[in-house]
Amino acid sequence: MRNPLVARFGTAAAAALLAVACGSATPPAEQSAPATPAAAPGERGSPEQLKALAARPTPHLPDGRPDLNATWDHLGGIEFVRVRQDAPAENESVCVFGCAPPPGQAGARPTGPPPAGPPGPGFPNYKPEFAAKVKDLKDRQVQVDTLLQCAPPGVPRIGPPAKIVQTAREVVFLYDDVNGPFFRTIPTDGRTHRTDLEPSYFGDAIGRYEGDTLIVETRNFNDETWLTDDGAFHTTNLKVVERLQRVGDTILYEAVAEDPDVLAEPYAPRPMTLWVSTEEIAEPARCDDRDLPHMVDGSYHSNPR
Amino acid sequence: MSMRCLALGALLLALSGLSPVAAHHSVPGQFDVSKPMTLTGTISKVDWINPHIYVHLDVKSDKGTVTTWALATLPTAMMRRSKITKASLTGKPGEMVTVRAVPARDGTRNLGWINKITYADGRYLQLAGQ
Repeated sequence: MRNPLVARFGTAAAAALLAVACGSATPPAEQSAPATPAAAPGERGSPEQLKALAARPTPHLPDGRPDLNATWDHLGGIEFVRVRQDAPAENESVCVFGCAPPPGQAGARPTGPPPAGPPGPGFPNYKPEFAAKVKDLKDRQVQVDTLLQCAPPGVPRIGPPAKIVQTAREVVFLYDDVNGPFFRTIPTDGRTHRTDLEPSYFGDAIGRYEGDTLIVETRNFNDETWLTDDGAFHTTNLKVVERLQRVGDTILYEAVAEDPDVLAEPYAPRPMTLWVSTEEIAEPARCDDRDLPHMVDGSYHSNPR
Repeated sequence: MSMRCLALGALLLALSGLSPVAAHHSVPGQFDVSKPMTLTGTISKVDWINPHIYVHLDVKSDKGTVTTWALATLPTAMMRRSKITKASLTGKPGEMVTVRAVPARDGTRNLGWINKITYADGRYLQLAGQ
């Protein structure tokens, strides 16, 4: 049975893509030539490769804005899975996870992330009166975290966009998330926040440029998502500011979430470096969780994007 | 977290068959990783879905009755990254495969999590702890 959330957002995302691809009232911005990150030295996403990509000239659009048009990779939280460039041969075996170590190397690879532990330094700092609520939600994450039920992750939990499309008046963020295909449209022509929208998973965003940085301010969220794992709830007063600075063929992505109703201070997830990808995004497979009814305890692990 | 804790966590992960990040919740919370089993049969269907792909394995008993197992595995993005397609996961029509898996903890019959699939020609897909 098709998940109604996916159906709804999948259709909307397709409509947004169609509008961008086929031309809407807003003319697309002129794009510079695509980069070739594969030519950069080092393993994909390695510090060596990111350094080389960042050292390249920063491309700009004719009007001087940074050119953000591209598919952007950051390995999406599954960096421990080695990327294959070519399909395996017909009779070739493949190890994705739980692999034996290569000859001469100790330890298994890829190792994967550490199991979820108690909230660490990167966890939002809540006002003391909300500590019990956070603990309760953390203890019941498998039952109450809508992310585990294929719902949209919200912002900043969804992480950086997988693809960015710029026009003269707006920017479109596209996501091929494990929970579904999602999009955000971000006016950059001076428009103010809309007043005709109900609170939503991804809120209402506006953007502006400062030098080579796109700054996105988003508000009008619903309160159905979390900021991160471990019971990190927020209210409808959440506001998120994201900064995307193009540096060569990379983007430095940062986000700061403010929710003064419940947070003692703004929460900033770990910054990420994105790089131009030669791989086009694809419609993610339908999210249809069949596991939660069979969980016998509340154990879970982190769900980074 | 210390490097020692990280190393221990990684080791436990590899040994337990704990699924990776995009898979939402822990495998040991749903499957009994202490009871690995081996199933032999033919793959009748693959549900290419998130957060976990499901492989349907028809296992024939000595008496000729067929039992279909629903076997969960990794999310599609991890397969795509490893260039494993729905077709390569499914194998050839009628191909006998051997699956090492672990059973559901809640008592649901014929439900499991795949560790490894070995196909008739010897190729294998290692998808979780050994």
